[in-house]
Amino acid sequence: MIAKTAEKLYRDCSVVQGRVGIAAQDDVMLSEGAPDLSRLAADVLSRLSCLGVVAASPSLPFASYLLRRSNADAKAIVPLDTETRTFLHDIPIVRREELSRDPAGAIAAHLSKRKGVIAEGVGIVASGPVTLEQAYIHYSSVFHAAFVKYLLDALQAGFVLPGEAEAFRSFRDTFLQPLTAEGLPFRPGPLDAPEEVLAEIRAVGRYTVLRGLVDSFFGNISYRVGDTIFISQTAASLDELAGCIDPVPTDNRSTTGITASSELLAHRRIYEATGARAILHGHPKFAVAMSMLCDVKDCPVKDCWKDCTRVRMLGDTPIVAGEIGAGGLAVRVPPVIGGPGKAIVYGHGVFAIGRDGFEEAFRSMVDVENRCREEYFRRLDARTERQSKSE
Amino acid sequence: MSGMSLRQYMLVVDLSSGRMRREEIPPELLRAYLGGRGLGVRLLRGRHTLSPFDPAMPVVFAVGPLCGTPAPTSARLSVVSRSPLTGTVYDCSAGGRFAWRLRAAGLFAILIEGKSPRPVALAVSSAGEELLPADALWGKGVGETVRALSDRGSVATIGPAGENGVLFSNILMGEGNAVGRGGLGAVLGRKNLKAVTVDGDLRIPVADRERFDRARADVLRLFRASPVIFGELGISEYGTPALVDLMRQRRMAPTENFRRTVFEDSSAYSGPAIRAAYGAKKEGCYGCPIRCKKRASDERPLPEYETVSHFGALNAISDLHSIVRSNDACNDLGMDTISAAATLSAWGEARGRFPAAEEIGPLLHDIAHRRGEGDLLAEGSRRVAEALGKPELSMSVKSLELPAYDPRGAYGMALAYATSNRGGCHLRAYPISHEILRKPVASDRFSFSGKARMIKIAEDTNAAVDSLVACKFAFFGASLEEYAELLSGVTGEPRTPQGLKEIGERIWLTERFYNARNGFTRADDDLPTRFFTEAGSSGEGIDVPPIDRARFGEELTKYYRIRGLRDDGSFPDDGFLERQP
Ligand code: SF4
Repeated sequence: MIAKTAEKLYRDCSVVQGRVGIAAQDDVMLSEGAPDLSRLAADVLSRLSCLGVVAASPSLPFASYLLRRSNADAKAIVPLDTETRTFLHDIPIVRREELSRDPAGAIAAHLSKRKGVIAEGVGIVASGPVTLEQAYIHYSSVFHAAFVKYLLDALQAGFVLPGEAEAFRSFRDTFLQPLTAEGLPFRPGPLDAPEEVLAEIRAVGRYTVLRGLVDSFFGNISYRVGDTIFISQTAASLDELAGCIDPVPTDNRSTTGITASSELLAHRRIYEATGARAILHGHPKFAVAMSMLCDVKDCPVKDCWKDCTRVRMLGDTPIVAGEIGAGGLAVRVPPVIGGPGKAIVYGHGVFAIGRDGFEEAFRSMVDVENRCREEYFRRLDARTERQSKSE
Repeated sequence: MSGMSLRQYMLVVDLSSGRMRREEIPPELLRAYLGGRGLGVRLLRGRHTLSPFDPAMPVVFAVGPLCGTPAPTSARLSVVSRSPLTGTVYDCSAGGRFAWRLRAAGLFAILIEGKSPRPVALAVSSAGEELLPADALWGKGVGETVRALSDRGSVATIGPAGENGVLFSNILMGEGNAVGRGGLGAVLGRKNLKAVTVDGDLRIPVADRERFDRARADVLRLFRASPVIFGELGISEYGTPALVDLMRQRRMAPTENFRRTVFEDSSAYSGPAIRAAYGAKKEGCYGCPIRCKKRASDERPLPEYETVSHFGALNAISDLHSIVRSNDACNDLGMDTISAAATLSAWGEARGRFPAAEEIGPLLHDIAHRRGEGDLLAEGSRRVAEALGKPELSMSVKSLELPAYDPRGAYGMALAYATSNRGGCHLRAYPISHEILRKPVASDRFSFSGKARMIKIAEDTNAAVDSLVACKFAFFGASLEEYAELLSGVTGEPRTPQGLKEIGERIWLTERFYNARNGFTRADDDLPTRFFTEAGSSGEGIDVPPIDRARFGEELTKYYRIRGLRDDGSFPDDGFLERQP
């Protein structure tokens, strides 16, 4: 289990090679990885009522920059993307001074309240109260949240720390790989045989993780055959969907789908509104970040992420607000997604549909994220130019 | 202002003398035990080895620190005593409106001891309390009693089953909620206490409103993000019978006294079937946004998942109307549905024929009045099976009948049944949450790996939840993280989830210590042999083998170690209680 968790972190490209420490406890404590980090993880875990702890250096310095850019008296950073708002609330930051005497104690004190922390000079430390995998999920949630928040902060406030501009350049030039759907085999739709549908959902789920369109945990995927929606289960890793796809009848004659993704209702309404066969929902980071930039001045709406009623456009992709699950997302996405075949939900992610199969949906999502990347860098470059002119 | 350090009062009622007094609850006890289950368990200390029917054995009614505030799902009541069915320390929480009315009457708890010479009802309001003669109510059903007392606020009452000492008699709330399972109705019956009514109008202060409101918004957001709670197929829509189809599909629906794990006709009483047949309307405990309770168009409460499954599959009955009638009968007689149905099922298997749908109603009445065979059945499945010379047919742990989650289909549940302090109950560690419902994360239901610690942590967490006293269903979405914030907001004293789990651990160990003093050992932390020797109903790509006994034992030993107990499940020393506040 420890080895599997480490492998997932490496595969996600969310940690620095060799800089992971993982501890898990049954009736005995086990820890593995970089000696300093695994010792720390074990020390932290020994003070918590939890199954596992992950401590790692994130592959990007964004979390550390967020910490250093924050006010000296700030106790936490508050990313405003929907996942963080809902599941993490805020992310405590533990500064060097606090860590100096008893680092494990200081981190455990924060982890006794929150799922993950950013610790200065250490990285991200996250706990899993129920399973070790949960610690991995919390790690990747913090990584995702920090990534998105940093993109927004850098765009709004520019680079302020020494070395930051250089690090960002290297992120842009070497970390970010071209995002493409090429080389991925898709089954042409429409698909009818359940076995084929399940196999294709499993394959496409893997692709989304492979190409970085979701963290391996979040997102969901479905396909409609007649009056059945095959949908990934809640809390399922999209790259491990075997046995985690629920067939849900569209007329609610059975409640077996109580374990289906929290977006079941949104998927169902999208099918009704568009007649599509496939839906893919992921959280590609640039799309999440860009959806949170709104130019409207003096808007009376406070909680834009759920209450905004406007349909904004990012290129040809509509952006709407709405909470996950029983929130308004299921109301606001279906009316706008039919024409363009894709939509972004404020601070949350992208929905893309395929009229017959998943290839169209996948390509749409890739396309949205690429356009958001381009637009992000266009705005950032313009900002940097303005900044250097004014200096 | 700090709500928790505000003075909290408990009403102590001595039924033998009729004396009553309000006394302050020591604030350090509230800090260390929160309220509800924890406080009740603490207040039993010193009398925990008395027989459940000893007049001096107290029954504690206690609310939690969030009760009366707009904290979601927190207006619940715990009742704590020692169970005549199991012999263990016993607590149960119930919703409805009773708890917040109790608190609004200026009380955090009621401790009832002694035995009244005549049937009485205890009536409490913010103006004071009195004992009312209840001879005229003795023998009456729950419905009639509630109607007779309804002008006195919320009613908690026993029915004929409690009066007649049925070992699985409940205390019923006027709104239809039950203090279920362990026979606390019989404990009240022995005390000649027919009912307790409460009414009040005090408001409960919140110390840090901003903090509280933020936490509340966080909780509601998590509810909305949880398919189990607010999903279109979730419990808010269909109530707990939403689980019927799922348990069928997972092949872990106990059928014919756990001989099989699939009942082909279960869709007859699934959530959608109940909705179609009874036009189920939403209803909830006070201030609960989830509203998982369902009522028929004629207002009668509709059955929960465990009830439909046990009056259904467990007895091989697919007649929904008969199941609903069984639920109605149990509610009016004041009897636990799970234990009643499971006792009938064990008896059915022992005599070679499960009772038919039309036989159930008369049998339930016979049990409540201890007539004919009902007199034996009133003793619960363990005593019935032993009396019939087939003790192995009682599907119970520590004499408490197992509910509708077959342990062969979820190994955490298997372990949780075994280690539960109050016996075969699904709500202690509640691993169904992760093993079946995937909340907050999924775990492998056919594996014991890591389960010992998962169960330990969940038992501690839920002991805190039961002491807050919040509803377990809230935790399909939210976690102690948000509830600790709600508590901090209400009291003004910072609390952390970790701190709450430590309180939960203290409560859990206290219960285990009491049980140990009452003779419970490792041998009682076991499942019926059937689960280790007979397979469930495999099929549809799901294999349901018998549980590997050696592996089960190994995990149980691990569990004891993690708990700091000896390998035989005993405490390493006698001083545990003295070290606790
Ligand atoms: S979820 Fe149901 S049982 Fe729980 S408090 Fe709400 S209405 Fe009551």
